[in-house]
Formats: sequence, structure tokens, C-alpha cells
Amino acid sequence: MRIPNIGSIQRSSVIYFAILASFFLLSIRLFLMQIVQQQSYDEKSADNSIKAIEQIPLRGVFLDRYGEVLVSNVPAYTLRILPADYDTSLNKLLETVVDLEPGSISKMLKNNRIYSKYVPLRIKRGIDFKAVAWLEENSEYLPGVSYIVEMQRGYPAGVTGSHVFGYTKEISPEQLKREKDYYDPGDYVGHNGLEKEYEKLIRGIKGYNYILVDSKRKEIGKYKDGLNDITSIKGHDLVLSIDAEVQKVAEQELKGKSGAVVAIDPKSGEILALVSAPDYDLNQFSYVTSKEFLQNLYTNPLRPSFNRATMSVKPPGSTFKILAAIAALDMGVITPSTTIYCGGGFTFGRFFKCHGGVHGPLNVIHAIEKSCNTFFYNLIYKIGLDKWYEYANRFGFNNVTGIDIGEEVPGLIPNSKYYEKIYGEKWPRSIMASLAIGQGEVSVTPLQLAQYAALIANNGNSFVPHVVKAYLDNKTGKQVPVKIKEIKTGVTKNVFDIVKEGMFLVVNGAGTATRIRMKEVTIAGKTGTAQNPHGADHAFFIGFAPYENPKIALAIVVENAGFGATWAAPIAQKMIQAYLLKEKVNKLDQRLNPDLQPRIVGASIAN
Amino acid sequence: MRIDYKLQDKFDLWLFVPAILLIAIGLVAIYSSTINHPEVHNNFQRQLTWGIISLIIFFITYSLPTNSFKFLGVPAYFISILLLLVVLVVGRKVSGARSWLYFGGIGFQPSEFAKIATILAISSFLSRTNSNIESIKDIGIALVIGFLPVGLILLEPDMGTSLTFMSLILILLFWKGISLFGLFVVLSPGLVAISSLFGTYYFIASLILVLGALLVFQKDIITSGSIVALNLGAGFFTEIVFRALSLHQQKRIQSFIDPSADPLGAGYNAIQAKVAIGSGGLFGKGFLAGNQTQLQFIPEQWTDFIFCVIGEEFGFIGSIVVLALFMSVILRILKIATSAKDEFLSLVSIGILAIYFVHLVINIGMVVGIMPIIGIPLPFVSYGGSSLVVNMFLLGIIANIYRTRKNYT
Repeated sequence: MRIPNIGSIQRSSVIYFAILASFFLLSIRLFLMQIVQQQSYDEKSADNSIKAIEQIPLRGVFLDRYGEVLVSNVPAYTLRILPADYDTSLNKLLETVVDLEPGSISKMLKNNRIYSKYVPLRIKRGIDFKAVAWLEENSEYLPGVSYIVEMQRGYPAGVTGSHVFGYTKEISPEQLKREKDYYDPGDYVGHNGLEKEYEKLIRGIKGYNYILVDSKRKEIGKYKDGLNDITSIKGHDLVLSIDAEVQKVAEQELKGKSGAVVAIDPKSGEILALVSAPDYDLNQFSYVTSKEFLQNLYTNPLRPSFNRATMSVKPPGSTFKILAAIAALDMGVITPSTTIYCGGGFTFGRFFKCHGGVHGPLNVIHAIEKSCNTFFYNLIYKIGLDKWYEYANRFGFNNVTGIDIGEEVPGLIPNSKYYEKIYGEKWPRSIMASLAIGQGEVSVTPLQLAQYAALIANNGNSFVPHVVKAYLDNKTGKQVPVKIKEIKTGVTKNVFDIVKEGMFLVVNGAGTATRIRMKEVTIAGKTGTAQNPHGADHAFFIGFAPYENPKIALAIVVENAGFGATWAAPIAQKMIQAYLLKEKVNKLDQRLNPDLQPRIVGASIAN
Repeated sequence: MRIDYKLQDKFDLWLFVPAILLIAIGLVAIYSSTINHPEVHNNFQRQLTWGIISLIIFFITYSLPTNSFKFLGVPAYFISILLLLVVLVVGRKVSGARSWLYFGGIGFQPSEFAKIATILAISSFLSRTNSNIESIKDIGIALVIGFLPVGLILLEPDMGTSLTFMSLILILLFWKGISLFGLFVVLSPGLVAISSLFGTYYFIASLILVLGALLVFQKDIITSGSIVALNLGAGFFTEIVFRALSLHQQKRIQSFIDPSADPLGAGYNAIQAKVAIGSGGLFGKGFLAGNQTQLQFIPEQWTDFIFCVIGEEFGFIGSIVVLALFMSVILRILKIATSAKDEFLSLVSIGILAIYFVHLVINIGMVVGIMPIIGIPLPFVSYGGSSLVVNMFLLGIIANIYRTRKNYT
């Protein structure tokens, strides 16, 4: 059955004419736009296109504790090629002028093929001024070749600091995916060290310039005379706790050696110097990094890129005896007057030899002074393995410290569970003996040792080791301190008085490090020499100064060097001299108070 | 040529060939707009794959027994309502609207499915043997069937799709034979609502028009009064809905009213789209030679703004060819709808016509600057598997109706 109205001729006609009218209307509109007004649209298309050009903000600079600039921003020239205009026959010439490997430009262009050929490609950063002059002179013969000024990191204080500062690198595709909101392809981000850990504070805020470009993306002027432009904002400057002088001395002393040095202000946990050797030149990362440099960095058997201060673990040798002494005194299993007889060794299952012959009867202070193995072999059985383990943990061993420069490892302190797992219920108790003198399974990082030295120096209390003290707010110019957690070992103060007396005698009595005794400052410390199954012994020293009121605590590790007293302790002495005896000018106050002196570093370079 | 005659008898080449040509043109435009765009340069292959899949679906739909669409209507409608509810809860947000459902790796928009189901459901309701288009009750029920999915889609919120639904409902009622007065009652609140978006003066002007029309119809005071109330309500309700819209949709509506107010923001697309088409000229700038397209002045040009590629690179000639192909398909459907002997099938055909027509007019209208920027794709041409499959399914229904047109008396 059909109902008369459905699809009736009239209704069908209405729809028919509605369709025709719509098509007619659209055609007329298209005719008007594409034929009548074509010229005006064509002009707009050709000339009147707005392009946003990113303004990369200056990264915050790094200052040392006195306001000395350690890491700055310096202008550098970057060679660019616009693939759309470029003539590849220029490859060879350009490669010679800016000193690139033959064939590298064509390789870069090939890798860039998936991106728009209207976007310039960076060929080399940091080309020298002679090359820039040449480009300027011959620009008419060099289609599609240009240079721009970009900012890169500079290290004006002569401090290497490779493992502390870290470097920036082009953003990885993975990170770009995760943080799409802020970054664009080709952006540089902190890759390791402080550059990475404080990226969000120091990167600043991007700005944009709106410009008009023609159909070939050639810039033809500012959009609305720059009315809509957004200026970039420089990142916050970081105030580090590093003392440039101390850091430099440590870097100098470790030249040609493998090892690590960490110096801490025991009262605040502030790191005064942190060096891992061998290190590498961060300047190399500011430019297009040369192949040989990278190859050497990653294939060198000494592994310069590895941060030994936080990542290398070793048995700390005799420097660990202090821990056993503290545990025993704090638990009350010995008193300062308790003596143990050293007959040249210790028997428990087998014979453990002491060094330097027979020491006779010794109390804890002299046992530290003479570094008598026999005394400490006995001591750990009085303490008990798990109690000793607990004290090691209280001093931060077996855990990461939480330092703010990135990767670190926790090391290892064995307890009875650990041995049960390996040897079963009846593990040989003789294993414990060597733990007391810092041999065997104990493994710690140089940073942990420095923290341990700081805790001893400051009577069991300190703060988590850290490199950044504060940042300078880029708007207010005020110093904003970074919050740091406190560490409390819970050990009573008089225990420290006793062990510190022992450490005093190590340097100033008849101990193992008397060669670093000084008139000007009283140093206290403890040497260590750890056996190394793979080669020569590792030299260790921990210490602090001045003895009466410690201001610097340090740990020195020199790999495959021999005795701690000979190789590690003198480095500590030089660093202490640099920190306590050298006069320093505090430039930070001037920087914080702009009336005193214009702020030169960083901000002014933009102009 | 007996074989050819037989083929045209069972298979409408006038419907099929233009649609295939539109898909081919779409592929060319997608290729051009993605070739210099490293992130999406496999969109061409994807669309090609979807094109083949949708062809298979077209032929399956084509060969189904024609009766089956009648039985499918009601269950499909309820399933689609269910899916529209589900998508509000677990759907994925794409450009501000929670409109996508994902099963495994494959995503689709329930609103696309609901389009098919709603056409079938309203058509079978209106083609009941005892239906009476003059009764308020029947009109009311048809409106409820139609506006239930509209309400759910507005909640996503996807304004473009709900607009196509509204026009679909209207054309179905019109085709069924709603009286001029009935049409006026259904239509006028919509017009008032749209006018109110432009400001108070437009709102008042549209109300005066409504009053004038009421004088012409000369209905009793109660009917006229309630219609005025309805229109007033529609105007104020729009204000509330507008405030409830997502920010980017509000901006798009505002930028239609004044595109130059914000040339770097929402108005940017409207301006750049017009520049792309206008600068194409008579013959266009040539394949892969449109600078607006190649320099990516219009974001995601391969979806809703695909017509710009055609306008810029193939000029007025290319644009007119596309319009002509669409006109061929749409007029062909009108012919089939008019000549269909079964009321249900006639209504379904006109519903499908409405879908294609409204998409076409809104999409091209928006890129040439006579409609606001409402994100709906150009059928057959825009990139997108979900939309292509649904459009070819709908075309399959029409081809099917054509195939069995002589069986129904």
C-alpha cells in the first residue's frame, strides 16, 4: 500500500530544486573565489603567511658557592643548509671550509630526507670565525647555505666538572614523545648530570616571533610589526655548593690517574668538589661532537664517561675500621680503655695476619692510629655481623645517597642473611673477620665514603650530599634555597670524640698519614689500602679538617695506585689547603644585589 | 551489447562509478597532503586499504536480501543507542569529543553506526501500515526516535554529527508528507536557535518572522501561543547549550561569525582554507605544487579540509568535477527514492541522500567560508576508514534497492 504523499512529485521536486540550488550556490561561490577574486587570494597565499619562529631561551648558568661562573652561555656560529635551494656539488668545498669528513654532508642530507626541504638543516655547530667570514664573502655563490648564531655552553672558570655538570644533547625521539607539550624536534635537553636533573629549572620558557613568509618560506617581514611576539625567558641560574678552587685542585691531582674524589661540608652536606677520573672535555659536546672524541669516550678501557664517584664500588680497606670502632663503642662492648693484644695476627678457623709486625696491647684510639688489623678482627665478633650491618646502614652504606647529579649505585654490605643465601645455615663465621677491615664482600662508592667522613666529622649528623644550594629566580632575582633532608645516625657524641682522637693521631701522631701533617690546619683522617685481585691495590683516604671544628670532609680513591698514605692522602691535603687557606672573594652578594654591579653573566648575552 | 544492458539493469553504474571516482580523487588529495608530512605519510596506504575493505562491504550489502534491512532497523537502533551510552563512559577523546570506541587496535565512531540505524528505525516507524503523518503523536514519536541519538551525540560533544542527524530527521518527515504547518513547527525552533547565536538582534528578528508566519497560518490562539513559547525557549536554550560546548567548539562558532578576530587561533583555519582554494585559480597550481597544502598551512588537511587540496592544486575545474560527481550520486539516489515502490525503501533512500547531501554542503560550505567550521568529513573523499566504510555501506543499500526495484509492487 502506498500512501499518496510519499515521494510525491511535488516533494521530490522540492528536494530536487534544493539540491540544484545548493550545487549552484557552491559553484558560484567557487567561481567567485577561484576566478573573480583569484588574484587577491593568490597574493595572500604567496605573501601573507604567518610563521612562528621559536626563540630558544638561554639556559640558566651555574655558579659556584662564591658566585664564580662555572657554566655559562656563549654565542657560536652554526652552519645550515636549506635542502630546497642547496646545490650538492658544493659538498666538497663546504666540507673543507668547516673541516668536516668527506661525504658527511651528503649523509646528513640523506638522513634528513623525511623532513621538509624548506626547513634548514644544521650541518655543524661552532664553526670558527674564519669560516664565517668566508661564507659571508662568498654568499652569492652558495645557494641555500647560511649560518646562524646559537648559544652553547661555555666553561669559563677552567673547571672540567664533566660528571657534575653533564651536557645537553638533541632530544631523543622517546623523550620527545613523552614531553610533546614543551619540546620540538631538534631541541637540546640536559642529557646527564645537573643539566639533566635540573632541566626544568634551567631550561627557561620558549618565545615566539611571528613573521611573514612567502610560498617558499622566505621571510619577508614581521607579522604586525612584532606586536604578537612572545619573548623567551631565560632559565633560573643555579648556585652550586662547588668550590671552583677545590674542584680544580682535585681535577689537577687526579690527572693521568683513575679514581674519584668527593669533598663535603660536613655541617650542610654541600658538596665542595666531586671528581671522577679520567674525565672528559664538556666543550666537545657544545659543538657537533667529533667522531674520534665519542669513540674514545665509549671505547676507552678506562671509561671516562663512567662516574666513579657515584657508580664505582670497591672494598674500602682500613678506612672502614672507624665504623667497627663506632659500633663497638656505641653498643658498649668496649670502652676507650679496653685493650686487645696484637701478637701479629688473629686466628679464627685460619690465621689472619696483621701488618707491621707485633703491635702489643692496644686500646681503640691507638688501634685506629696504627690501623691494627688484629684489634678489629676481634672487634667484629664482639659486635656481631647483623649489628655491624645495621651501623653501616645508619652511616648511609648499602643505600644510594640521593645526590642530585643523577645515577648512583647502593653498593653492598653483607649480613647473615646474605651469607645464608650463599653458604646455607652453617656459613663459615671466619668470613666476618675481613669485613671489619673493609675487605671481602663490602663494597662502597667514593661518595658514600665522603658522606661517612662528613658524618664522623659532624658527630653523626649531616645532610644528604647535594651539589645545588639554591637557584636564582629569574623574575625576582632572589635566591631560592633547595630543600635538603637531614641525616641522623643516632650515635652519641662522645663516641665520635674517641674515634676522632684516633684519626687525629693517624696524621698528627705516629700513624699512617703523618706526611700530610700541616702547621696551619690540623687534619684528621684514616688511610686505607684495598687489595685488588685484578691488579695493584687501590689507595683510599678519608678525613676532615680542621680537627677542632670540621669544615671539610673528604674521601679520596685512587685506583691501582698502592698505599693510601702515599697516593690518596696528599690529594686530600692539597684540597684542604685550597679550601681553608686560599682567600676567596664572594661575588654572589654582588650578583644578588644588582645595584652594586650590573649582572653580566647570561642575561646580557642575549642582547 | 546485451550484457551491458543486463549489468545496468541489476547494477547501477550511474551510482557506482561516480562514487569510485570520488574515492580515487580523495586518494590523490590525501597523497598530496601527506607526502611532505613525515608523521602521516602512510595515510595514503591506509586509505587505500580501507577503500578495498569498503568495496567488499559495498558488494556484500548489495547482495543481501532487500527485506533484511527492514528487520535490521529496530535491533540496530537499540544497539547503537547502547553503544552511544558506552562511548560516553569509555570512549577515547579525539579533538575535544569523546567519540571513539576501540576494540583491540581498531577504532570506530558509534555515531557513524547510529546514522544507519536511525535511518532504518525512523523509516520503519513511518512506514507502518497505520501510520498517520498528520497526527502530533506520530510526529512526536518520530522526533523522539531521532533526537535520542542526537542528545547522546551532543553529550560527547560532537556538534557536526548531531547537525547531520537533525537534518536527516527533518528530510524523512518531509518525505513522508508532513504538512507545511507541521514542518514549520518542527523547523522554526531550530532557525531561531541558530539566529540567537549571532546575537540579540538576530534573535528578535527571527522571532518576528515566526510571528509573521503564524499570522499566515491562522491557527487558534492556544496553538500559536505554544509555538511562540517553544521558539522563545529554543533561543534561550541555545545560549545554555553554547555555554556547555567545549571551548574549541565555541571558538569555531565565534570565528565563523568573525574570522578575522583571531587570525592565529580558531579563525586561522577558515582563512587559510579560503586562501588555499581561492589561490587555485581556474586550473589549479598542479599536483603536489600547492604551497598552502605542501607547506602545511592547514592542520590535518587530509581529513575535514581535504577539499582545499583539490581546490588549490586542481583549481576551479577540479572543484567543479568533484561537485558534479556528488551531484550525480545524489540525484541518482533521489531518482531511486522517488521510483521505489516500497515506502520503507523509499524513506531509507531519502535518508541516505540526506546524509550525503548534508555532509557535502556543510563540509564544502565550511571550507569556502559560507558555513562555520564544523568538523565533519567529505563523504568518500576525506581520510578515515570508519567514515568510508559507513558511506560505502549506505551506498550498498541504495544499489541493493536499485537491484530489486522491480520486485516490490
